[in-house]
Amino acid sequence: KMYEFFNQIPPIFFALIACFFRASLCAEGLVNEDVKRTLDLSSHLAKITAEIQLANHGASRVSGFTLALEAELAPHLAFIGASVKGEEEEDESLELKETTVHGQSGKFFEAQLPSSLAPGAKLRVKVETVFSHMLKPFPTHITQAERQLVVFQGNHYLYSPYPTRSQTTRVRLASKTVESYTKLGNPTKSDETVEYGPFKDVPPFSQDAMKIHYENNTPFITISSVTRTIEVSHWGNIAVEETIDLRHTGAFLKGPFSRYDYQRQSDSGISSVKSFKTILPASAQDVYYRDEIGNISTSHLQVLDDSVEVEIRPRFPLFGGWKTHYIIGYNLPSYEYLYNLGDQYALKIRLVDHVYDDQVIDQLTVKLILPEGARNIHVDTPYPITRSQDELHYTYLDTFGRPVLVATKNNLVEQHIQDVVVHYTFNKILMLQEPLLVVGLFYILFFTVIIYVRLDFSITKDPAAEVRMKVASITEQVLTLVNKRLGLYRHMDEVVNRYKQTRDTGALNSGRKTLEAEHRTLSNDISALQARLKAEGSDLAEKVGEIQKLDNQLKDLVCRSCQEAERLVAGKVKKDAYIDSDKTLSGKRQELVSRIDSLLDAL
Amino acid sequence: TRSCLLCVKMTKLGFLRLSYEKQDTLLKLLILSMAAHPNTCLNELFLVGSYFNYRTTRFLTEEGFYKFHNWFDDRAWYPLGRIIGGTIYPGLMITSAALYHVLHFFHITIDIRNVCVFLAPLFSSFTAIVTYHFTKELKDAGAGLLAAAMIAVVPGYISRSVAGSYDNEGTILSQRYVVYSNAFKKASIGKVLEFVKYQIETYTLLFKSLVLFLYWLMLGKISPWTGRFYSLLDPSYAKNNIPIIASVSEHQPTTWSSYYFDLQLLVFMFPVGLYYCFNNLSDATIFIIMYGVTSMYFSAVMVRLMLVLAPVMCILSGIGVSQVLTTYMKNLDVSRPDKKSKKQQDSTYPIKNEVASGMILVMAFFLITYTFHSTWVTSEAYSSPSIVLSARGGDGSRIIFDDFREAYYWLRHNTPEDAKVMSWWDYGYQITAMANRTILVDNNTWNNTHISRVGQAMASTEEKAYEIMRELDVSYVLVIFGGLTGYSSDDINKFLWMVRIGGSTDTGRHIKEHDYYTPTGEFRVDREGSPVLLNCLMYKMCYYRFGQVYTEAKRPPGYDRVRNAEIGNKDFELDVLEEAYTTEHWLVRIYKVKDLDNRGLSRT
Repeated sequence: KMYEFFNQIPPIFFALIACFFRASLCAEGLVNEDVKRTLDLSSHLAKITAEIQLANHGASRVSGFTLALEAELAPHLAFIGASVKGEEEEDESLELKETTVHGQSGKFFEAQLPSSLAPGAKLRVKVETVFSHMLKPFPTHITQAERQLVVFQGNHYLYSPYPTRSQTTRVRLASKTVESYTKLGNPTKSDETVEYGPFKDVPPFSQDAMKIHYENNTPFITISSVTRTIEVSHWGNIAVEETIDLRHTGAFLKGPFSRYDYQRQSDSGISSVKSFKTILPASAQDVYYRDEIGNISTSHLQVLDDSVEVEIRPRFPLFGGWKTHYIIGYNLPSYEYLYNLGDQYALKIRLVDHVYDDQVIDQLTVKLILPEGARNIHVDTPYPITRSQDELHYTYLDTFGRPVLVATKNNLVEQHIQDVVVHYTFNKILMLQEPLLVVGLFYILFFTVIIYVRLDFSITKDPAAEVRMKVASITEQVLTLVNKRLGLYRHMDEVVNRYKQTRDTGALNSGRKTLEAEHRTLSNDISALQARLKAEGSDLAEKVGEIQKLDNQLKDLVCRSCQEAERLVAGKVKKDAYIDSDKTLSGKRQELVSRIDSLLDAL
Repeated sequence: TRSCLLCVKMTKLGFLRLSYEKQDTLLKLLILSMAAHPNTCLNELFLVGSYFNYRTTRFLTEEGFYKFHNWFDDRAWYPLGRIIGGTIYPGLMITSAALYHVLHFFHITIDIRNVCVFLAPLFSSFTAIVTYHFTKELKDAGAGLLAAAMIAVVPGYISRSVAGSYDNEGTILSQRYVVYSNAFKKASIGKVLEFVKYQIETYTLLFKSLVLFLYWLMLGKISPWTGRFYSLLDPSYAKNNIPIIASVSEHQPTTWSSYYFDLQLLVFMFPVGLYYCFNNLSDATIFIIMYGVTSMYFSAVMVRLMLVLAPVMCILSGIGVSQVLTTYMKNLDVSRPDKKSKKQQDSTYPIKNEVASGMILVMAFFLITYTFHSTWVTSEAYSSPSIVLSARGGDGSRIIFDDFREAYYWLRHNTPEDAKVMSWWDYGYQITAMANRTILVDNNTWNNTHISRVGQAMASTEEKAYEIMRELDVSYVLVIFGGLTGYSSDDINKFLWMVRIGGSTDTGRHIKEHDYYTPTGEFRVDREGSPVLLNCLMYKMCYYRFGQVYTEAKRPPGYDRVRNAEIGNKDFELDVLEEAYTTEHWLVRIYKVKDLDNRGLSRT
């Protein structure tokens, strides 16, 4: 019969037993010598800290231990952390790995000790846990005048796989008003605290329902979802935008909302939330706070030394069950968060940031937009997070899209405000792509405009306009030619001056020759243009003729001043006489030039 | 302008020896580009109509054209609904949606909201350019430039084309002027025949439609919106027959002061331009004379049509000012004051030069004051969104009343998706766009009876109103109340219109306007007020618990700062309603309609 019985047990059972033995083996002999538990229920979170003195009463060294959570509490767990209290008052945090313990319900974590514990040795461990949505409003619906009461249901004892020698439990509440609390072991209550214990010799996995019903008017707001978008630009900016859905998860408002009472009586709607503070990084700039229907005018910004504080005031006070939605965004300088070595880049930025004190985020979505062309992306997260399929994002001047990393996580609290590091490679040449694109675009634009202006698209011929255009182009040419010719004279003056100093007749003669030659060609060109103007029937031809006449006189003057200089150098004329004649000549020239100028202006 | 001057100086100094033609083009370009520079400001939608247009545009971009075309809106006019795709003019929405898609094709990821906000300034800058061309066809380039500069700042047009006013009116002008100037260009080229043909065609079309209109008129098959056109032809028509049109402030006759406020200098220069046009009669000038005079008439009928008048005023004033300036500029003796020229002075026209420079100085002064006036008016009256109110506090600081959005946003997030909101029709578009809730009546006042039903509910006692609200399936009621802040265009001040409109249909025959007056014929909310008024739903919703509030020092509680009276009915409870939300400054009050009690009996 016995044989049959063993036959019926599936082999998996043996495997499980083996597992259990292994798990209990490494912990065998461990005892919680002294446990100090603190239940902080003063906010809308349940923060449970336990300071445990572990002792190894076994025969062998122990390299790790197991942490346990009650099955009722486990789904609410937002954060768990364990640290060893060293002698030098320096806490060393331990790495936790989730495990299972056969035959026991709940959630278990395996903590690895930095150095194994010898038989008989003791160790002080601090375990910190944060639970969200543990405090249930009761009654669930209250009126505006009523105060908010909540119920906490937990365990009087430390839930542990090891026997406990002695333990105390201290509960911190949000107010003095307590409706009821379980009275195990005659607890003492003073002001806002209830102290249980000490309980002696508690066996492993002990549970005894603790229930506290008390007043708690702290802001019961929950971020039901937040989407945090971080857009990195290599031009020196990181843009952060958070889209937040906020909900008051306390007792629902029953009946009317009276603005009169709310404004008159300070304790009316005491559990409602009017505003809260969001702390942004110190270098945050261009902060905006808006929603679907525009800018929210009720907010204050305060720039402090080490942070930027935004007083976020939703459009309306949040009562129980009410919700709101808003967007907050700001810019950060990238040099504080982006590091590079050649083409290797590393971005170190907070995965989630502060929204309000004691925050709870039910659902977080992080979108990290990297610059276009970033490759070999590798992400280091401070805690496990679910990565979704990468996306592509297109914005101004993008051609093949920016890579977007998407990650989600549920149930986060303040302890999750930690840095994420993203490594990627980026070719710096790609930085030039966008400016070049703009340049090219403008080039094409101007080019088309030039082409459009140069070509005649009209189907009818307008002879008058054509003549006008022709005349305009001819006068344009005349202008440049005349200016050039005037330039020749100025050049000749320089030649003469140099001659007066160097007395080099050869240079003067060659200068005169070039003047003659160039002047002839220019004058011929102008005459030709004048003839064309005449042919077009424009009266400007006469003016050009006048310019030609004046120019002849001008040229004569230039020649004369040249001759005078020669005579001076040859000693045929005295210096005083030369200066006099030069003055009159230049005066005449000035007059001629100004007359030519005024004629040119009239063209 | 400074760059213009600089450029002129440079040409004078010979740095840029440009031909006159080129100088001219450069100046024109500079002036036009300045005139066409869009007037931009906040990134908010201003006018009530804009919200509806924005909503439809968003629908078009998100859902596509076919869905838009077949769009039946069940969010408005509950329980009737409204066929939007078939009843609106989709040009505006299609333009912005096309713009949006083109921009997004090039990965310029502009929000559709920004496209809507900046469409009007964009088109108004087109208007400036087109006005230039149009006026150039009428007179010359100088007048065109002046007209363009004037239209760039004229408050009457800016009020409708400032960033954030997203409406057909702001964009239509530029398109219309393109047609006009093209027509005149055709005429001036010499293809007069074609133009005449075109004109005849339009006239026959007009005539046909007029005949059709009269035919409808005879059959009595006029749809309600034609009322607005009626009132154009006969200003007293609306006042006597259709209270809903008369109740809109935009449809009130224009006062003299608002002409000056919106047009300033143009009022005086308009006749000058007209005079010039009469002196130089041609097809084009006759057209502009007719256009000017008829729009003058229309603008006098309704304030709203100031928009039609403002551009033609700019054109005619541009012509007038340019004419005055050219006349006197010629007389200005710019040559250096040599002794010789002084002797040659015209004996028939003494001090010619002095008169000319005096006139030019006066014109310059007028033009400068016009710019200052326009800037002032625009910044004071037309630059703040009507949704956000502001006031000066005791210490001179600005207090912002953002109550409308507070209330709408509360509705959006804290009422059931399918809640039906009853309010006066003025707030309909805003509620659908901002609160995203179903409403009974909105600014598209197509169904007079439905609006009248809402008016009846507001004007009735709680008991009667409850019946109407149950019948219309109302879950929330929204009223605007200015008694605490002194906001005068609130629902109590609009209440008489609700009474009139409510009483204008068969179901509301028992509602008589004179019941709401005191025996001496006054509309009062204090103890002397008519008991019918003091017990109607609107009164109770506005003043619920207001009787306990101290609003001003040395006044009894419940002192209404708009009506300047202590309210007459202070202590009352609401039977069928429950205060759901009241904004910070009590501007918007929202009430929840209570359900029938357990036995299904009425609450009262």
